[in-house]
Amino acid sequence: MAINRRQFIKRSAGAVSVSLIMPRFWMGNVAQGQEIAADPNRKIFVVIQLAGGNDGLNTVVPYTDSRYQTLRPTIGFKDTELKDDTGASTILGSTSFGFNPAMGELKSLYDAGKVGVVLGVSYANPNLSHFFATDIWSTANTTGAGNGWLGRYADQKLFGKSGLSAVSIGSSLPKALYADKIVVPNITPAGGADPFVNYAFQTDARNAGDKNNQLNTFKSNNTRTFPTGSFDAALAEAGFGAEEGAAQLRTAVQGYTPGATYPTNNQPSATAVSFASALKMVAEIITTIPDANLLYVQLGGFDHHSQEIGTATDNFHDKTKGQHATLLKALSLGVKTFYDDLTAHGIADNVVMMTWSEFGRRPNENASIGTDHGTTEPIIVIGNAVHGGIYGEQPSLSDLDSAGNMKVKVDFRSVYSTILDKWLGADSQSILGAKYDNVGFLG
Amino acid sequence: MASLSYDEGAHLLRRAGFGGAPEEIDDLSARGREGAVDFLINFNQIDNSAMESLLAASFDFSTQDGISNPEIRRWWFTRMVNTKRQFEEKMTLFWHNHFATSSSKVQDFLMFNQNMLLRQGVLDRFDNMLLKVSQDAAMLVWLDNITNVLGKPNENFGRELQELFTMGIKDVVTDEQNYTEQDVKEVARAFTGWNYRRQSPFAFQLNASQHDNGSKSIYTGTPWAQTGNLSGEDVITIISARPATARYLTWKLFNFFVYPVTTSSADKATIDKFAKVYLNNNHSIKELVRAIFTSDEFFSERAFFSLVKQPVELTVGAIRMLGGTYNQGTTGRGSATLQTLSRNMGQDLFAPPDVAGWDPFLAWVNTASMLERFNFANTFLTNRNTTNPGIFVTNDQLKSITKASSKKTVKRFLSRLGPLNVGGALGTLRTYLETGDNGQPVTYVNDDATVDKKIRGLVHQIMCLPEFQLN
Repeated sequence: MAINRRQFIKRSAGAVSVSLIMPRFWMGNVAQGQEIAADPNRKIFVVIQLAGGNDGLNTVVPYTDSRYQTLRPTIGFKDTELKDDTGASTILGSTSFGFNPAMGELKSLYDAGKVGVVLGVSYANPNLSHFFATDIWSTANTTGAGNGWLGRYADQKLFGKSGLSAVSIGSSLPKALYADKIVVPNITPAGGADPFVNYAFQTDARNAGDKNNQLNTFKSNNTRTFPTGSFDAALAEAGFGAEEGAAQLRTAVQGYTPGATYPTNNQPSATAVSFASALKMVAEIITTIPDANLLYVQLGGFDHHSQEIGTATDNFHDKTKGQHATLLKALSLGVKTFYDDLTAHGIADNVVMMTWSEFGRRPNENASIGTDHGTTEPIIVIGNAVHGGIYGEQPSLSDLDSAGNMKVKVDFRSVYSTILDKWLGADSQSILGAKYDNVGFLG
Repeated sequence: MASLSYDEGAHLLRRAGFGGAPEEIDDLSARGREGAVDFLINFNQIDNSAMESLLAASFDFSTQDGISNPEIRRWWFTRMVNTKRQFEEKMTLFWHNHFATSSSKVQDFLMFNQNMLLRQGVLDRFDNMLLKVSQDAAMLVWLDNITNVLGKPNENFGRELQELFTMGIKDVVTDEQNYTEQDVKEVARAFTGWNYRRQSPFAFQLNASQHDNGSKSIYTGTPWAQTGNLSGEDVITIISARPATARYLTWKLFNFFVYPVTTSSADKATIDKFAKVYLNNNHSIKELVRAIFTSDEFFSERAFFSLVKQPVELTVGAIRMLGGTYNQGTTGRGSATLQTLSRNMGQDLFAPPDVAGWDPFLAWVNTASMLERFNFANTFLTNRNTTNPGIFVTNDQLKSITKASSKKTVKRFLSRLGPLNVGGALGTLRTYLETGDNGQPVTYVNDDATVDKKIRGLVHQIMCLPEFQLN
């Protein structure tokens, strides 16, 4: 079992040294309220987790496959239906695939050559449990054990960098970012004007007038002098650094001015607004903090066992509406707005995005106008550095496994290794434990 | 019989448990050092029926599905906050960290079963504990022994058994290497065929056809060399008797309960001294723990506040010492507050980061986790909703701790939450109590309005002190 080991600290019996493990500090040297200058060498990676198991066949639709139409008589899209809300076709060039009609914005990026789609991604003997499959994708390990693959990358490449080199935006830190040496902060977006307001030393909301007294007391108490090397000294230093670092982050991001109009006011949906807001936070961080390199956002709710399409008013038959369309619209609109924002800030060349989900869904629709847990899924990569096009191979819908699921064509770790080697300048073999094929969408 | 001062009693209760109210500490101190330790470790004699009733009313574990990931975490926090048998919970936490097994791979109901097994055997003879844990389904799954079969041995369990559960790679006192790679292979063979039944109660079974009955040679060339058709049980008996195991367990107990052990010769001598208690008492964990908790080392100046509180100790301790409440809620409407906050600080119960458990001391400390600690305190102190599931402390409870003067009030809370000796922070905290919204001096009065505002703020500030992070 590939359990992660902490050889140096834990296993040399008797070795307990205070100085071994230094807390990590914000070394803020960012001028307050300023965006940072463009740096052609910056390589930023933004991960978008689609939690719940995204229906890949209705995301990247194999519309020419008659088996697709047979297996999905209710929820499947015909070629004539692959049009976005402006009436433009969402068929991907001359390929046999089309984006879901909700993904018009991503289609425009595809047309511009900025989007790669890797078909048929999973691993041998896919696990259909949300929890276990998420662990497998997060750890890049089919036992699901150990630290996250991004955490291992961060330990190798980001340890020792100043400030927030890796950040997760969401309700909790995803397992993909579990690491040994580096601690990735998770920032939970606050509703309202300032999404960073919770990433702060919090005080009694009922007594706002006392906040400065609280902060002054805290700073005074945590800047006392303690014996060098004592736990007290390390705790005070880390504690003071935490409060100051959070405050500096919030100061730094104030230098950001949006370069695109992010959705507001529940339009087109509350989900689209909150997802775009998380990407906007990413934009705020990467445009104001030079070492920001690895960012992670989540879009949840893809577990559409029933009523995947439509609404009550159309008796759940309008394929352009409903749960899945709402999520894909949120994804598409959020990514495009974020991309436009990056372009306006002159750093679109520095950013690659990747979507993933713990599994795809079963080709055959179920009796509840939904789909059950499946296997392979398409991974979508986006960025100016991406060579747009279709990669991998669509699994045959006439050659399903005994459970009626698609057979794997591309190991998900090939996608990871391509990004690690060709974008992040890392050594994928040491991070993933083996060498995987270059999928070819980068470099 | 050695006496036990109030500060010593508080130290003992914070370490052997999570800390408590002054009455609990007074009660311990009145028993004297040996009497107090005897009381804590003979916890089966303490009436715990109130907690048992609370658990019965708040959890539904009647089905396997009901024993879910969030529910077992809520269950354990409910126990830790409410138990009268504090040492039972703390020692179970020690074993959970020692035999670190995670729900990332093991089903939740098996994790729950393992927890029950650990708590029932917390002070068992070590050989018995080790055998039970090794034959329990959770460990068999966790370290892949269910795929360890004749002809295709899986070394995972055989390696960690020696490296993490018993001896360590090197003897913590002599620095000698305890075993070789060949020993890992031979030990793995002894455990081939160990498996469990896939139906309730998921008991151990030896699949005889998968067990390697050939001759195994272990620890060749050492005083512990053995050759023969060794079984897994034989190996556990052999390893449990080795001095290296006694020393490694003592070392881990010291780092968990007493102080961070260095590699100095003095510390090695201390470890060796207590390891002999294990060896001379038929491998009794109870006698080893009794010796440690009654020792002068445990009550030495070096030991006081020498450990960084684990998140579980921080959260549960804050509630118990202050007299706060964890309203755990009921199944379907449970409070995830404590498990979520503790996880955010780096300690997700039933999910240690790996088989080596949680790293101690400063591994808990970084900017993100410190922010989480501070904001835990703020959540606890500013939640005035006393009906919904969650954590809170009432104004009445806070007021009962205040005194008429600001200085005495600060001292009373510092005593309550430690007792903490905070040097110059005392004056700063007093100044805080005497500062109004406009930053101007105000006169402290311990009325209801002040309690709801400044006393809540004061306790939040105390919980943000470096001293409060230490145990």
